[in-house]
Amino acid sequence: MIKIISLTTSLLLTLNTVFAAEAGMPQLDPTYWASQVFWLTIIFSAIYFLIAKIFVPKIKGNIDARESQIRKDIEEANSLKEEADRKLQKYNSLIDEAKLEARKILSEGRKKINEDIQSKKEQVEKDIQKETLEATKEIEKFKINSLSKVNIISEEIISEIIQDIFKEDLNKSSIKATVSEVMKERRNQI
Amino acid sequence: MATNPMHQFNVYKIGPEIKINGIDLSFTNASLFMLISAISISIFLLLGTKDKKIIPGKFQLLSEMLYNFISKMISDTAGKKAKPYFPFIFSLFIFVLFCNMVGMLPYSFTVTSHIIVTLAFAMFIFIGVTILGFIIHGFKYLKIFVPSGVPVVLLPIIMVIEIISYLSRPVSLSVRLFANMMAGHTMLKVFGGFVISLGLVAGWLPLTFSVALTGLEILVAFLQAYVFAILTCIYLNDALNLHH
Repeated sequence: MIKIISLTTSLLLTLNTVFAAEAGMPQLDPTYWASQVFWLTIIFSAIYFLIAKIFVPKIKGNIDARESQIRKDIEEANSLKEEADRKLQKYNSLIDEAKLEARKILSEGRKKINEDIQSKKEQVEKDIQKETLEATKEIEKFKINSLSKVNIISEEIISEIIQDIFKEDLNKSSIKATVSEVMKERRNQI
Repeated sequence: MATNPMHQFNVYKIGPEIKINGIDLSFTNASLFMLISAISISIFLLLGTKDKKIIPGKFQLLSEMLYNFISKMISDTAGKKAKPYFPFIFSLFIFVLFCNMVGMLPYSFTVTSHIIVTLAFAMFIFIGVTILGFIIHGFKYLKIFVPSGVPVVLLPIIMVIEIISYLSRPVSLSVRLFANMMAGHTMLKVFGGFVISLGLVAGWLPLTFSVALTGLEILVAFLQAYVFAILTCIYLNDALNLHH
């Protein structure tokens, strides 16, 4: 501090000796001191009131508005994020539920189809059995029928042969009995 | 005559002579440049507060930076209690800054290069701070001259030193700004004069200096405004928070 003062004063002293035309520092001339202080007071007061009453509140308002806006935006972003998280959770649970349901439907369908196949198989087997039984019955019937027919034919043939050979009718019932005996033997042989 | 480096500090009246009770209160070139600085400040702040944008424009950004800069400076040095004095510190800083910067323009007048102007500021601050100290702390404010933890033997000497340093505050505050501004402008003028007198042959050297000094002076103009404001804050802090 003292250094600056001594430096400036020494500088000024040398300058004053060099430029002797206008000696001294105009700053130390008291002619306009009062005027300078007077106008400084007026002008500085004016600018002080302008700044204190208009500009500082305005700038402060701007800064506060920005800060509150930023805070509001951050809050909004946070709430939106929370909502998004909630929605995601909901979506995930929905997906899980849907998967579960799909699996259920799939297993049910499979079960139903299996049951269907089983019942149809059983039905078909039953039908086959029934038909086999019927066919067997028919074959049996047919067999019996054919045997009785063979009997009748044999009787007729035998009676005709006997007639041709012996020229006389034989007792029909005895022929029948004989034929049936023979047939019985044959059947037993078979 | 124009090469006299002190010529730029001359004060002369503009317009009619105004005399009240025999005191000359005429409008001078100094008053004119005070007015120019004040108008520049108003225009700058008007541009800065014209828009209320979330993303600020150039001037809005500058004014908000200035606001935050001074706000931070006050809260760092004088704490929360100094909040009501924010507009004053803001005005003081911006006024001194603009006066210094307007003075950097060629052919202009530097208001702050006059001891009476800086002394008026410094005395106002000194008296204001002292009154404020007495209002807030009463006679306890005198404790500012009695630092705590000093041996009783040394107390008289310390007190004398403290009182002298307290009383020299307005002097140091005003002379610092005034001397810096005057010295810088004188130097600029001297080097400018050398450019002319040395001519095309050797004039380049002082010209280079002149350019460099201009840069330095712009820095000094800002720095001195800052120092003036921060010292005001420190004095204010002493008055608001008595902690010696």
